[in-house]
Amino acid sequence: MTEAKAEVLQGTLDLMVLKTLQALGPLHGYGIARRIEQVSGQVLLLNQGTIYASLIRLLQKGWITAAWGTSDNNRKAKFYSLTASGRKQLREETENWERIAAVVGRVLQL
Amino acid sequence: MWERLRSLSSRLWAWARMRRLEGDFAEELESHAAMLTEEYRQRGLAPEQARREAMLRLGSMAQLRESYREQRGLPLLDRMRQDLHYAVRMFRKAPGFTLFAGAALALGIGGTSAVFNIADAVLLRPLPYGEPSRLVMLWQDDTTYGFPRNNPSPVAFDLWQKHNQAFQGMAALTHTSFNLLGQGAPEYLHADTVTANFFSVLGVMPALGRTFTADDGRPGAPPTAVLSYGLWVRRFGGQPRVVGQNLLLNGAKYTVAGVMPREFQFLDPEVDLWVPAQWTSDYIEARKTDHFLKVVARLRAGVSVQRASVAMSLLGKQLSTSDMSDLTAVVVPLREQVAGDVRPALLVLLGAVALLLLIACANIANLLLARGSARTAELAVRLALGASRKRVVEQMLAESLLLSCAGGAAGLGLAVLATGFLGQLIPPGISNSGAPSVNGPLLLFAAGVSITTGILFGTLPAWRGSQVALVASLKQGGGRSGVGLGGQRVRGLLVVTEVALAIVLLAGATLMIRSFGKLYHQDPGFRAEHMLTLQTRLQYPKYQSMARRSEFYREVLQRVESLPDVVAAGYTTYLPLADGGGGSLVTVENHPVDPKHLLIANVRVVSPDYFRAVGMTLRRGRLLERSDGADSPKVAVINQNMARAYWPGENPLGRRFKRGLPQLDSPWYTVAGVVADMRQGGMDVPVRPEAYFSFEQADFFPPDSLAVRTTRDPLSVTEEVRQQIWAVDSEEPVAAVMPLQEMVDRSVAPARLQTGLLGGFAAVALLLAALGIYAVLSFLVAQRTQELGLRLALGARPAQVLRTVMAQGLKLYLLGLAIGIAAALALSRFLTHLLFGVSAADPLSYATVIVLMASVAVLACYLPARRAMRFDPMAALRYE
Repeated sequence: MTEAKAEVLQGTLDLMVLKTLQALGPLHGYGIARRIEQVSGQVLLLNQGTIYASLIRLLQKGWITAAWGTSDNNRKAKFYSLTASGRKQLREETENWERIAAVVGRVLQL
Repeated sequence: MWERLRSLSSRLWAWARMRRLEGDFAEELESHAAMLTEEYRQRGLAPEQARREAMLRLGSMAQLRESYREQRGLPLLDRMRQDLHYAVRMFRKAPGFTLFAGAALALGIGGTSAVFNIADAVLLRPLPYGEPSRLVMLWQDDTTYGFPRNNPSPVAFDLWQKHNQAFQGMAALTHTSFNLLGQGAPEYLHADTVTANFFSVLGVMPALGRTFTADDGRPGAPPTAVLSYGLWVRRFGGQPRVVGQNLLLNGAKYTVAGVMPREFQFLDPEVDLWVPAQWTSDYIEARKTDHFLKVVARLRAGVSVQRASVAMSLLGKQLSTSDMSDLTAVVVPLREQVAGDVRPALLVLLGAVALLLLIACANIANLLLARGSARTAELAVRLALGASRKRVVEQMLAESLLLSCAGGAAGLGLAVLATGFLGQLIPPGISNSGAPSVNGPLLLFAAGVSITTGILFGTLPAWRGSQVALVASLKQGGGRSGVGLGGQRVRGLLVVTEVALAIVLLAGATLMIRSFGKLYHQDPGFRAEHMLTLQTRLQYPKYQSMARRSEFYREVLQRVESLPDVVAAGYTTYLPLADGGGGSLVTVENHPVDPKHLLIANVRVVSPDYFRAVGMTLRRGRLLERSDGADSPKVAVINQNMARAYWPGENPLGRRFKRGLPQLDSPWYTVAGVVADMRQGGMDVPVRPEAYFSFEQADFFPPDSLAVRTTRDPLSVTEEVRQQIWAVDSEEPVAAVMPLQEMVDRSVAPARLQTGLLGGFAAVALLLAALGIYAVLSFLVAQRTQELGLRLALGARPAQVLRTVMAQGLKLYLLGLAIGIAAALALSRFLTHLLFGVSAADPLSYATVIVLMASVAVLACYLPARRAMRFDPMAALRYE
């Protein structure tokens, strides 16, 4: 896999993670993976572990934070939540994505 | 940018806490797996199956952890950790190689660091004075009669000080000595008489009290003294109250003005105290022709040494008058003055030890190349499995660096051990401040050298290792498939380099050893064995009259000579090797006076038995006799050098000369005898014209050194001699008690140390070069096992095989030899300063080097060749 291609895919997953956290609030890795699968209508069946590479990247950039907590059924789990800069990033990325999608869509309709 | 930084810092932080974070991550994954399992259970799977499905869904744990680590931490650092781990394993598997390479590196890096440490102390570290780079020494340029750097006379100092524009301040000093009485045994103190501005010119502050003010230097002012830290502690127990107290020096009262800090010294570390000079204009005029001062000056801000030199040379021409010697001043930076003769020696040693390090590098590179060849298969597998070539280079460089840094650490230990010993190379003028120690520069230097070394010897093998031809190597499979002929050529070149470098070192060492032999075994003109020397200093005004002094000498000599173990005893002003000074102008009768070529001779006032006591040889005429008394005709004995210089081609006996310029009203002395030249200033200092006068007939310098020839260990008679002196005068201090042999040893000590070091370096170099040849040939023989076996099987005689193999090795040696000799001849001129009685192109030395290197090379070639000769053809053929 070339570097550039990997980056696009990574970026997409990151964007989905951010969006999920914005929609649902603090959530653990399992919850995020589950949600993305559901929302995508089971189109995206993840190797759920890959979610963690994305989470670490987002942590390192300071867009999300992590803290240990307790899940609904009383299990210890690490919860991720969006930071202020993460929110800002999500807004920018969303706009970006929509613009690109629109452009690509128009081009493809030609 | 900010994000990148943030990301990096987070990675760094994570890397540091990797272990904990990994545990944390494992826990998180476990919790995730549990939730997934729960999900599958709810869909109705059995617990075990649910768990399996969950794990599948999550992905490979190992892979996750790996990618986690890559993303989370610093892959570079991780790879380095991996590389080092791997390198340690490699070294464990090859302990012989590791030990050898480590030892060679430790010697090389340790030696370089140790010599650097000394060089740093002598040549680089600032001297402990205010703005030391502006301090210079001024010497009087008396080149015209053989003293390019003569001690300035008081007149010269006085005129320079009044008329110069180049200096902010100028101070003069001269050595003197005192007999300290009161509180305990009489003690002989070394002192410097200094002009009152001495301390301010140097820019130093006292530890206690004050230094001198202009008032202290005014003639007739109450005498004051500044103590050295050593004297203050030794004699006054380090009591602050000492300031303002009185000392009894030579019977006169001196008030202690202050105490200098521990690290303060100027030129002579033995000085115990300083007293202010109170010179009157009459005094300066009276000692017009006596050259006994040292002058230190501080350049004006912005004035360079060169500009000051030009200015002082012009000033000298303006000031010169017909009856005065040249008044030009030679300006010498203080650093150059104190580092003195050591500088070339240090540079030569530094160069030598750097060469040694290079040889060690070449050697290890060579061994690594050989190992690289043996590791071809391993490297090929790694490359085939997807390691990038860059990664292989990284891995191999990590091995080299680990090796060089381990060697460097051991070397640093060696350097610290060697420093005390090498400290002898530091001239006394800077030993107080410059005492070498483990310090920042040393650590930096050792680290720098270690890393450079690792890269130096590691790059080539690493690069070659990464160039392994994949398919070919994997097919051949065995460990003996070389990197190819190219590799062999590279290794041959390395050996040639090693031999050449070793030849350079060997040549230098051989020259030094020959030179030292000549220095040590020369005839110095005296016999040092069984000779005790010591100093007494007659106190004034008690011994003001010459008759009183003569009485003291006669009585002491008579008493000492009557001791059972004493053969002879004599007094002199300067012992052999003690000093080259004491030069005076002389006027030779019927010798035309040329103001530009004034005659000068070292003047010695002695007791008649002095010649016999030190073992000098009479060449013509007679020695001084006891009958040459105060009322007899005045006579003198001169050395051969003086006879040749001032009465060339004539018989000097019966001719007359006197001290001072022709117009000076001083008595004439008739030459009664000529003695063989004797070393005066040091074993390697050229002999100067010298004249001896009897203490009964010469009042200009009172003798203060006693030479006693004994029948047994000279130190064993010390106490008896001391008692005899005290029987004559109980207030007479007895100082500087020493066998003359010790003076000889001290005089040659630097040469001995330099020679020993260079010899040691050369021996290691020789060994390394021999090992280099041996290793390459052994490798070659191993590679050609099959071919040589075949030849033997086909009927080649073993001797032929031996010849073939040896020829290959000797070819390398001969090439190295040729290059090495050429380089040695070119470089040996740097040794010229250090050599005594041996030319830098001395054929005997070079012949020795060639023979020595040849025998070692032949041996190093013979051993592998013999192995080749003894191959069992069958075994060799089956080998593949």
